Amino acid sequence: MGEVAHPVRIVSPFRARTIVLARRFRGVATQVLHNRSAVLGLGILIFFFVLAVAAPWIAPYGPLEPVTDAAPLSHASPSHPFGVNLLGRDIYSQVIWGSQVSLIVGVMSAFVAIVIGTGVGLISGFVGGWLDEVIMRFNDVVLSIPFLVLMIVVAARIGNLDLWGIIFVIGFTGWSVTARVVRGQVLSLKERMFVERGRMIGSSNAHIVIRHILPNAFPVVFANGILTIAISILSESVLAFLNLSVRNNVSWGRVIAEAVRNDAITNGMPEWMIAPGLCLVVLVFGFYLFGYALDEILNPRLRRR
Amino acid sequence: MPGSADLAIIPRDPKYQGFRQYQIAQFGLDKTPLEQFVIYLQKLFTLDWGVSYFYKKPVIGILAVDLSWTLLLVGTATIFTVLIGMAIGAYAAVRRGKPFDYLSTGFAIFFYGMPIFWLGLMLQTAFKRRSPFAAWFSWWPQLPVQGYYNNDLIPWQWDWTHVSDAGFHLILPAATLALGTLAGISLVMRSSLIDVMTEDFVTTAKAKGLSEAAVLRRHILPNGLPPMVSLIALDVAFILGGAYQVEYVFNYKGIGYRTIEAIGNLDFPLLQFIIVIGGAAVVIANLISDFVLLLLDPRIKIT
Repeated sequence: MGEVAHPVRIVSPFRARTIVLARRFRGVATQVLHNRSAVLGLGILIFFFVLAVAAPWIAPYGPLEPVTDAAPLSHASPSHPFGVNLLGRDIYSQVIWGSQVSLIVGVMSAFVAIVIGTGVGLISGFVGGWLDEVIMRFNDVVLSIPFLVLMIVVAARIGNLDLWGIIFVIGFTGWSVTARVVRGQVLSLKERMFVERGRMIGSSNAHIVIRHILPNAFPVVFANGILTIAISILSESVLAFLNLSVRNNVSWGRVIAEAVRNDAITNGMPEWMIAPGLCLVVLVFGFYLFGYALDEILNPRLRRR
Repeated sequence: MPGSADLAIIPRDPKYQGFRQYQIAQFGLDKTPLEQFVIYLQKLFTLDWGVSYFYKKPVIGILAVDLSWTLLLVGTATIFTVLIGMAIGAYAAVRRGKPFDYLSTGFAIFFYGMPIFWLGLMLQTAFKRRSPFAAWFSWWPQLPVQGYYNNDLIPWQWDWTHVSDAGFHLILPAATLALGTLAGISLVMRSSLIDVMTEDFVTTAKAKGLSEAAVLRRHILPNGLPPMVSLIALDVAFILGGAYQVEYVFNYKGIGYRTIEAIGNLDFPLLQFIIVIGGAAVVIANLISDFVLLLLDPRIKIT
């Protein structure tokens, strides 16, 4: 028996799957790195992510900690770059800490919305029939109520929300678009050959949905998820601005609301209002850039022709 | 808004106890939530939208006035958004890959991600009376930033002073709302037209020697516009959400301002009707868009 020139590596199914996944991921990663707006978006996201994680070390004061060396409402100075607010808290630190709340609320509530939306979309698209009709008509009703209005009323009705409360309010009111997108994907995927083949060899419905349809719908779900995060961050800022968000923590919307209440601009503290707003704009801009670029890469229909 | 509504109806003082019991009975607050809901549904059939807890007046009368102001704001903003957004989107699609395309798309995404309330605050700061810019440039416009017309002119009359003043007060809120929603329209318009531009019939039209403008007008726009119309209708929900923020920031007392106020006052009948209006607005917008589609697209027929 001679040597085999190119020995076939025999690997376990699990390992084979990881190899395939890693190869696919590497493909997407190269495409992302060759897309200028995706790189810019990713850079912005990494910056704010680092800011949020390192907030305890970067921020000179805690989010709600009063400073001792300056009077309330004192203007910007070297030790307090954005000044001090009415309750004697360092605004510069508050802006840094605000990135935590925005990112946590944005990511987690988008996650809630996507899990619910994907679940509903999968069931509705795969089962079809009267269940699909019922779910989609209900979805139409939810979609026809302006999202922000619904969210404001729900948040106000519950009142005194903590971090988890606000995450669930935004998540539970924001899943209908995802459900619709996923359903559309499932409708086209379930007519494909591999589903028929799976059925022929006796796979159960659950197996087909989880192992065949979900992985194929995943890229679209993921790209949609990035955009949902951006919308969730904006929603949180609106709620915080209307004083309906988390009470025991700072977020950028709340800092802006406080600046408005204290007439920051007239009192010569424009950075109080501008800095948190600019952070919000840049962060959401980053998510949109990255999300749209990813959508273009992962969603073959959008690919440039 | 935790807490029961009856606490907001009357002052918290023991001497109002009897009045409180009377009011609770009058508004049906002593019944279970389910019973109250059934009663609400019953009244809907007679178009009785209930009585505001706070103002003690029929909800429909209060909101009819607010709605007219919101419609003025949203209507003005929507017209400008749609016209300018479509023009920018179309021009970016034609100039695809050129600097104008990159710039407009970049700006569009930037404004798309901007919280509308913050945009409103910034515009207020820039254009209010004695703004910093006005000190530097003598020509810098100074615009009113609060309310729908000058308080000295109350009550409202249909004459030139009132109308022009209301128009003057409308500029900044409408501009905020238009800028905030412009981006979405122009982005969708661009991608919709680019979709059409890759079709074979466009190549044919160019090949037979039609000018760029003629190809755009005769072949691209007729095929690119119909999807835009239904998207604008869906956007109405988004524009309404923006209108809420704008009204709050500019003290423009329309539906959105009333919502925030009603939340503070625990005024449930008012809130319920506001939600109904929001839903109805989207439904009506969809209906109108279907009719517009009927005009634009000869393939669609009423069966």
